[in-house]
Amino acid sequence: MIQVKYFGIIAEAAQCESENIAEENMTLSKVLSDLTSRHSLGEYNFQIAVNRKIVSNLSEQLLEDGDEIAFLPPFSGG
Amino acid sequence: MGTKSPSYHPFPEAEMNRYIRQTTLPQVGESGQQKLLNSRVLVIGAGGLGCAVLPYLAAAGVGTIGIIDGDQIEESNLHRQVLYTPDQLGFYKAYEAAASISKNNPKVEVLVYKEFLTSKNAQEIFPTYDLIIDATDNLFIRYVINDTCLEFGKPFVYGSIHQFQGQVSVFNYEGGPSYRDIFPQENQSVPNCAEAGVLGTTVGLIGMLQANEAIKIILGIGEVLSGKLLIYDLLQNTQQVFEFGKVSSPKKPDISVSFDMILAEEALNGDSILLDVREIGEEPEVSFSNTLQIPLSVLERESEKLDPKIEFRIFCQSGIRSRSAAELLSKKGFQNLKLIRGGANDLLQLIDT
Repeated sequence: MIQVKYFGIIAEAAQCESENIAEENMTLSKVLSDLTSRHSLGEYNFQIAVNRKIVSNLSEQLLEDGDEIAFLPPFSGG
Repeated sequence: MGTKSPSYHPFPEAEMNRYIRQTTLPQVGESGQQKLLNSRVLVIGAGGLGCAVLPYLAAAGVGTIGIIDGDQIEESNLHRQVLYTPDQLGFYKAYEAAASISKNNPKVEVLVYKEFLTSKNAQEIFPTYDLIIDATDNLFIRYVINDTCLEFGKPFVYGSIHQFQGQVSVFNYEGGPSYRDIFPQENQSVPNCAEAGVLGTTVGLIGMLQANEAIKIILGIGEVLSGKLLIYDLLQNTQQVFEFGKVSSPKKPDISVSFDMILAEEALNGDSILLDVREIGEEPEVSFSNTLQIPLSVLERESEKLDPKIEFRIFCQSGIRSRSAAELLSKKGFQNLKLIRGGANDLLQLIDT
C-alpha cells in the first residue's frame, strides 16, 4: 500500500487530503501520471516528495509497500 | 550574521532588565542579546504575516527593522492584521505598523518604505539588511525576493498560507537551497487570502514561526529550516517536514520581470487607460470612460492596435492574468505598464463609497 498526501490547492482539486493506493512495484512516474490524470491536476504546479524527500527528477524509481508520496504546491496567502 | 560595528553601547543596565527573561536562557545570554540589537531585518509586507512577525522582532530587541508595504488598511484586513484598528482604515500599513512596534520598543530603529517591492527597489534596499522576511501574499514577488537575496547573499525566511495550512522555510542560508530549487516555475496560478479565505490564527502562527526562525538565525542557535519545507496543518494539528536540496540548473535564472503595482485609488487618478484583461461577461463589470477591455486570450493579436508608448494600468480579477498581460505587452515593446492591486473589486469599491 502506498499513501498519497495532497496539500493546499491540490487537496481541493483531488477532493481529499490523502488516499491509499495499492500499486506496489510500479514506477513513481507511472503512479504520478495516473494520479495527475485521475484528479485532473495537469494545470497545477507542484513538487513531489517521496518519504518526505522532494524528488527533483521524476525517475523510474520503483515504489515499495509503505512508501508515502506527497503533492506539494507553493502557497501564496499571507 | 555579518560582522559590523555595534550600534548600541554594550548593554546599559536599564536595557538589561527589559530582556532579562530571554537573556536568562543559556542559548541567548547577553552576547545573544547584543547580536539581536546589532541585527538588521527587513520585513516585506505588513499584512497578516507581517502583523505577527513585526511585534515579536521588535519586542525581542532586533535593533533595526525595515518595513516595506505600499498597501492601505482595509476593513477586511482587521480580523487577521491585528496591529490595526478601525480608526486606521485607509492609512498606510507600513506607517501604522511602525508606530505600533515603536510603541512596544522605542529603542528599535524602524525604517519605513511606503511602496510595494519591485526588482528595482529591492536592489537598493536589500544590501543594507542581514536577513529578509517574506511576509507577502504574492507569488511573483517571491521570485524577485529570492533572486535578489541570491545576488546579495542574504538568507530569507519564507512563510505562506493556504486556508488552514501554512508553509515555512529558510532559503539561501549559508549556501543552502533557494526558493527556485523547490518551486522553479514562475508561471502558475495560486490563490491568495482574498480568494481562498484565511483565519487570523493561521496566519498569526505561521508569522510567529517565521519570527522564530529569524531570531534563531541571528542568535546562531537550534536547527534552521534550511533545505526543509515545514507544512503546518492547523485543522489537524499536524506538522510535516519535507527535505530538499539544491537543484543544479543549466543557467542562472533571469531576475524576474517586475512591474510597478498601484492601488486602485491611484489608478483612478489621471486619464490613463485602464486595461481590463478579463473575458467578456466576467463580473463585476467595470465600465469607466477610460476602461478598455481586451481579454488576455486575444491580447496578443489585439495589441497590434495599441500604442506601445502610452501608459496602461492593467487589471483582472485577482492579479494573475494582469501580470501575464503585462509580461506579454512588455515583450512587445510596451514600456509604461502598471498593475492595479485588488483588481476589479477594489476599483468598484472606490466608486461605491
